[in-house]
Amino acid sequence: MGVTELAERLGLPKATVHGLLRTLEAEELVERDADSGKYRLGPVLLQLGNAFLDNHELRARSLLWADALASRAMEAVRVGVLNGASVLVIHHVFRPDDSLQILEVGNAIPWHACALGKAIVAYLDGDRRRELLGAPLPRLTGRTLTDPEALGRELDRIALMGVAFEDQEAIIGEAAIAAPVFDHLGQVVGAIGVGGPVERLLPDGPSDHLIAAVKEAARGLSRELGAGRVAARGG
Amino acid sequence: MLDGAFVARWVRALERLLEEHRDYLTQLDAAIGDADHGINMHRGFSAALRELDGGAGEAPGRMLEAVGRVLVLTVGGAAGPLYGTAFRQAGRVLGEAPSFGPAELFAALRAGLEGIQRLGAAAEGDKTIVDAFAPGLAALQRELRAGTGLGEAVRRAREAAEEGMRSTIPMQARKGRASYLGPRSIGHQDPGATSTALLFSALERAVEEGATP
Repeated sequence: MGVTELAERLGLPKATVHGLLRTLEAEELVERDADSGKYRLGPVLLQLGNAFLDNHELRARSLLWADALASRAMEAVRVGVLNGASVLVIHHVFRPDDSLQILEVGNAIPWHACALGKAIVAYLDGDRRRELLGAPLPRLTGRTLTDPEALGRELDRIALMGVAFEDQEAIIGEAAIAAPVFDHLGQVVGAIGVGGPVERLLPDGPSDHLIAAVKEAARGLSRELGAGRVAARGG
Repeated sequence: MLDGAFVARWVRALERLLEEHRDYLTQLDAAIGDADHGINMHRGFSAALRELDGGAGEAPGRMLEAVGRVLVLTVGGAAGPLYGTAFRQAGRVLGEAPSFGPAELFAALRAGLEGIQRLGAAAEGDKTIVDAFAPGLAALQRELRAGTGLGEAVRRAREAAEEGMRSTIPMQARKGRASYLGPRSIGHQDPGATSTALLFSALERAVEEGATP
């Protein structure tokens, strides 16, 4: 972005923006492209982002569980936390084959369209759940649940079963299975799950083997975070 | 008149274009998707071509349906179900007729687009296949209504699809994996819109090749 554009968008004089950019540049929070003279985000932001991830307890504790789940299920594993109305992916383990895959850490997925999000929201208290169900629920595919009542029923079912499914609700052709993770207070802090092609994950409905693997990883992770047995069961 | 030989030329031209652009499509997909669009699309259309060579029947509609079935099974990702549905719906419109005219071609393509939109719930501006398909189709309709010959009409349709493809660059994705990137999806051309522009380009070639004896 150029100084003029930034000044316009911030409603500040160009000289002020220029001074701010010089400071940010000195701290490597932004950098200036030598050719165009325009500014972009700088390398220190990556360190800040990594510091966030490194200090995140759920992420730190999920590393081993996510690896184990990926090799047991032979599918990609994602760990996410709720951030506003989206699930922020804080850890991603590739499907353990040699296929080319792109890291999804940092991706934000609308909660109602993914198994991770539904697994989390199913265990939030009634007020927060109502709040999220009352907010806009954008349609990502023809199969996204966007009716608050239908979605509420789905959340009830998830809370009963302890596991959430996603059948091409976020991306055509993709499915996921996820379970909630609880902390020592018994509160839901995130979710872990597998994701992949719908024909492999949900060939004729979800396979018992995958459900068991996902729930076991979520239980183990919850126990590590100090959750009691009842909460860790997802009950 | 458009017939089974035309459908075969169309699929063959598209397979060739996808082979040429395979790495390019994958590169585009690596920026905002999962880096498999070029490989997946080429694999799918190679299989579709083999299916047609193996004798999928003579009726153009049935051939398109066969192509769609193969694409669903072989492309994978989101593109498999989307393009597969498009070809199947297009084929269904043409039915058993041994040949068809420009108006039926338009109707078939429109059914294809509708199939894609039903499945993906995407509108123009979401940075998807639709951003190339919809303007390409609109241009085809406009030209055919104005009485333009088919060769010129599909050329204009291809140009409109390519323009639509380029228009995805400044868009922020609202559908598909790219949408998870939020504003980071801005500045990249959508791989799906790019392969759709190739579909229109193949259509143009198939019409051209049919015109020259």
